[in-house]
This record gives sequence, structure tokens and C-alpha cells, in this order.
Amino acid sequence: MTHQSRQFAFVIQQLTARELKRKYARSYLGVVWSVLNPLLSMAVLSLIFSQLFRRSIEHYPIYYLSGYLLWQAFTGATTAAMTTLADNKTLLLKVKFPMELFVLTRVYTALINLGYSLAAYGVMLAVFRITLKWAMLMIPVIIGCLFLFSLGVAFLLATAYVFFGDIKHLYSVVLTLWMYCSAIFYPVQQLSGPIRVVIEHNPLYIYIHGMRSAVLYGALPEPGDLAQMLLWSLGMCLTGYTVFRRSRNKIMERI
Amino acid sequence: MNRQTDILVENVTMRFRRAKDEATSLKELMVRTLRGDQHKETFLALDKVSFAVEKGEVVGLIGANGAGKSTLLKIIAGALLPTSGQVWVDRRKVQLLTLGTGFDPELTGRENVYLNGAIIGYSKAYIDEKYKEIVAFAELDGFMGEKVRNYSSGMVSRLGFAIATARDTPEILILDEVLSVGDLFFRKKSEARIREMIHAGSTVLIVSHSPGVIRANCTKAIWLERGRLQAVGPPEAVCSAYENRKKGTGS
Repeated sequence: MTHQSRQFAFVIQQLTARELKRKYARSYLGVVWSVLNPLLSMAVLSLIFSQLFRRSIEHYPIYYLSGYLLWQAFTGATTAAMTTLADNKTLLLKVKFPMELFVLTRVYTALINLGYSLAAYGVMLAVFRITLKWAMLMIPVIIGCLFLFSLGVAFLLATAYVFFGDIKHLYSVVLTLWMYCSAIFYPVQQLSGPIRVVIEHNPLYIYIHGMRSAVLYGALPEPGDLAQMLLWSLGMCLTGYTVFRRSRNKIMERI
Repeated sequence: MNRQTDILVENVTMRFRRAKDEATSLKELMVRTLRGDQHKETFLALDKVSFAVEKGEVVGLIGANGAGKSTLLKIIAGALLPTSGQVWVDRRKVQLLTLGTGFDPELTGRENVYLNGAIIGYSKAYIDEKYKEIVAFAELDGFMGEKVRNYSSGMVSRLGFAIATARDTPEILILDEVLSVGDLFFRKKSEARIREMIHAGSTVLIVSHSPGVIRANCTKAIWLERGRLQAVGPPEAVCSAYENRKKGTGS
């Protein structure tokens, strides 16, 4: 490792440690929340919907949890990264490294939180007697794609937020719509027509679907889905990064 | 004595769009676009500013609020690109110290030293090595486990100053309104530290709107007024001119 990349790693480590400490600073249970939160949410949703979808989905809690965890990671990463430049205003002036690191750190923090939540997921898999399958080796690939995709969206949002403060409100509305289009708690088979097409090309749904197929049925993603996964993540990451780079000077003018 | 130029500012011009003409939300942007409200007024934050800072000099940059001091700092620190003109400076050596030090109130003093150190370019090993010195200089022994939220503003600026000046190699230190705060005792101490750094070959650029600070510390003063370079010269002469001008306009 060169001196510079070692310094970048140190900065990322410090910034991430700060995010995590801040997140858990004021709660007694601390990091346990990352584990407990998805479980509670799973319990609530299962209570209501497992009866409703009994015929179409087996292991409803796992079906739901697989989608919920990925969805949470995505929204956590992007909403946190959106305000990162504004939050770190005073630091931005002094930095000796590319300010992309601020965006990267928030997305990375969400990834670490996903890691904690995955511990709960593991326990639930055991509880529901889901056997280990080779296809589960796809999970890191899916999470990697999700990370790149989130990073791309995060770059776009962080840039936009500097110029338009109301992006924050707009994005929360978009997220609601996006969530319903990601089939997190209902079976996608019940929908047809254009909305079905939208869902099947929604990158979040493709990641979630990939995760469920691997965990519940031991199935690898179909080649078409795999291609979409990679294309979405690389495409979004590159787009976001390019926009961010290009707006760099404008961002500093506004901040 | 072998003189070399540390900071060279050549014909730097910065043109901003007026803040009131800038839409700050999408809603506003839409309303404006619909109304055909397209006039874009610009103003010059800096107008062909040129000066040089030699190695080992302590230069004071003086000017009223809105004179363009912060913009100039941002350009020297490399955070902003000027509209035209150029700045020659070794950015790796530049250390910028401002009042909003960027400490995280939710973290302890110790954690903030590492976070801030990392951000201004110190390695982990270097902070480990200098940690005791930093704490001693900031006179915060016994407080480092406390959250910065509970610090007084004096403690915060002391810690900020201690971190920024922990480096012992010659460097370019930019102080933005830092010397005018803190208690008298610490002010004396930080002035002594700056003198020490100058002896070690550091170059210092002090930004202030208080002529007192400039007179007490600087070897040269630069007066900026509405983006234009008004005067460059010995601190005494420039500061007097600045004070007279202020009286003249009655502001």
C-alpha cells in the first residue's frame, strides 16, 4: 500500500467509526438495535401478512426479511450520504483527500450496519431450518452490486442536495414509491401489466429477488437478471461519480 | 538569506452568481423557470488580486466582512478554483485553521483528535506519537475522555489550534480569525507557538478583521476591500489606513 492509500484508509476508518459512534451514542442498547430492528419489523409484518400470502409464499418471515435488509441498507446509505457534504461543511475546507470519501464513508457505514443485521438474519435462517446452499455464495456478489448501486445514487443525491435543499423531502416520497415497487412484503406474481414490468427491471427488486432465490430455493440468478444486476450497479456508480466530479467546483462555491 | 516564495497569487478573480438569484430548492427553480425569471446577476468576490508571500513571512490579511477574505482563503487552500488567475502554492504543506474546527460534539476529545488529525493529513502513527504533546499544549489533560459537546468554546479552539500546529516540519499555516478568541493567556501561548513555527521556517497567513491582531503578529499586511487589493505593506501603515478608511465611511 502506498502512503496515500494508507492515509485514505485511515480517514475512512476514522469517519466510519464516528458515524457508528454517533448513531449509537444516545441509545442504551447501542448496536443491538441494528440486530433487533429488522427482527421486530419482521415480526410485525409476519403477524399481518403471513396469513394473507400463505399460499404463494413459504417462509414468509424469511421472504420479508431478505428484502427488508437489502432495502434498509439502500435507504440508509443513500439518505445518510445525501446530506454528508452539508454536514461536513467545516471539514471540507481542510481536507487533504478527495471529498468523495465523505460520500463513500456514509455508504460504507450502511454496509457495516447491514453486516450486523445479517447476524440476525443468520439466526432466523437457523430458526426456520433453512439449509445452507451453494447458491448462497451469491450473497456477497449481490451485496457488492447493491453497494455500488447505492454509491452511485448517493453521489447524485449528495450533489443535488447542495443545490436544492428540498431534494430531501422529494426523495422520501420517491423512496415510498420505490419501496412499493420492490415487492418487499408481497409476492410479485400477484401483479401484472406495466407495473410488473417496472418491478422486474427495478434494480432493488432484482437484488432482493436474487437474494431470496439463493436463500430460499438455492437458485442462482438467471443470466438476464445477473446481467441487469451488474449493469445497474456499474452504470449507476459511474454516472453518479461522473456527475459528482463534474460538479466539484460548483459544490465548493455553494458550500 | 535564501528567500523563496511560498504563496504566489496572480490576478485571481472570482465571480459568483448573486445569492438571491440562485434557486435554493427545486420548487423555487420551477417557479422561476415558469415565470421566465432568467436574469443572472454576478458579482466579483475577488477582482484581479495579486500578491506574494515569501517563506518565513507572517502576513496579515485584513478587511471588513464580505471583503473576499474567506473566498481568497478557499482558493489558496485549493477548495475553490478561481474564475481566472492562478495561485502557486504547495497544497500538501498548507494547514488551514478556522473557528468552526469541524469537531464532532458527540465524540470525545480523544476521538476528535484522531478524526481531525486524519482529515488534515496526519497518519495514525504520527498522531499516536504527538498525542500527549497535543493534549498538554491544549491544557486538556483529564478532559480527553469527555465529549466535546461539554467543552467550553475556549477549550474547543485550544484543541483545534493544538492539532493544527502539531506538525514540526516547516509548513504554511493559515489562521482564519483564530487568534482573536480564547483567553488572554492562551492567546499569548498560541502567539508564542506561531513565533516558534516561524523560527522553524514556517510561513503564516493570518486573516482577521481586527487590526490589533495584525499589528501584534505580522511582518506584512494586505488590505482587501470589496474584492480589490487596497494596500500591501508594513502592518502599521496598512492598519492605520484601514482604520482611517473605516472612520471615513462611517461604517
